Amino acid sequence: MRWLRTVVSAAGIGIVVGAAVAFAASISFSSASLGAGSASTGRCTNAGLSVLQNLSGSNVASVTVGSIPAGCAGATLLVSVTAGATTGSGSATVPAGGGSVTVTLSTTPAVTASELTDLVLIGP
Amino acid sequence: MTGARRLALTVAGLLAVSGAMTLQVGAAASLSVGSQQITPYRSCTITATPSSTTAVADVGVREASAGTNFGTATTNAVSSAAAANQRMYIRFDLTQCSPTIPSSSTIRLATLRIYVSALPAACRTIDIFRSTATWTETGITWTNQPFGTTLNNPASGSRTGSFNVGTPAGCQNLAAGYVVGATVTTDVAAFVGGTSNFGWMLRDDVEASATTRTTTLSAKNLGTLAQAPQLVITYT
Repeated sequence: MRWLRTVVSAAGIGIVVGAAVAFAASISFSSASLGAGSASTGRCTNAGLSVLQNLSGSNVASVTVGSIPAGCAGATLLVSVTAGATTGSGSATVPAGGGSVTVTLSTTPAVTASELTDLVLIGP
Repeated sequence: MTGARRLALTVAGLLAVSGAMTLQVGAAASLSVGSQQITPYRSCTITATPSSTTAVADVGVREASAGTNFGTATTNAVSSAAAANQRMYIRFDLTQCSPTIPSSSTIRLATLRIYVSALPAACRTIDIFRSTATWTETGITWTNQPFGTTLNNPASGSRTGSFNVGTPAGCQNLAAGYVVGATVTTDVAAFVGGTSNFGWMLRDDVEASATTRTTTLSAKNLGTLAQAPQLVITYT
């Protein structure tokens, strides 16, 4: 799956960027270890996750992701909602047993005719 | 920029946030994305807003007013009644999703979200059928509707899905709010794959009830965002 390989590659870029932002000198990510990661990356589920926008007025304040299988318990769920030029993001941990997780957004995009929501489960 | 590349960049951004957060915790050696699974999904939510939008078309047709169009009504209804049945037609323009859902994607879940504002006193099953012919919000009537005027047609067995609604305990949807159970995944997958999208028709599973049984649904023309019809598509 070419796009997934691209995502995994991007993940490596993301970690490097994250490290740079945090200035965590005690941590080093080598390209070799990220490369090794590409080979072992898999998915914790292919289930049809439900996505529900929770509104505050006319803005998306949070997103509830449901139908998460128990196999994803402990994973970090990253959510990004884009509506027009505004993007809000947030993260939460999938509880034991899976189920649903509500992620509060840092910025609350106004509801438009359509919104794009990206979800990424990292782990477990 | 392709959808996949945009997704990749978004994931990269999200992971950047994650990486920073984890680094603040200081558990240096524990952050090993290389040994973890990465499960990306994407979702498009189409909402009937503003009320003038053409991204969503919804309209009711009424047997008792067979030649009248109700495209500007603020509510629609699904009703089973003697000579007064009502059906609802609804369609979402999938091209509103940006980026476009790739035809090669796998539709994991598509959910029709419609808001019930008044429920029947008996638990009724509402069937969802994929419309196979075009219709317009301002032109459709009971008389000219794609499925014709024969009651209980098409047969329940050809429905895309169904849900039940009513106030009795045990009914799937027993209070006002967005209905649960209106899943249209197979149809949306077909639309994304190139099948013409004429939306859906909703009708009572058993029309022509001797006792009138009506489910009232908020229409886009109500202009209330918290009750606006939605289609939520999750795909990979």
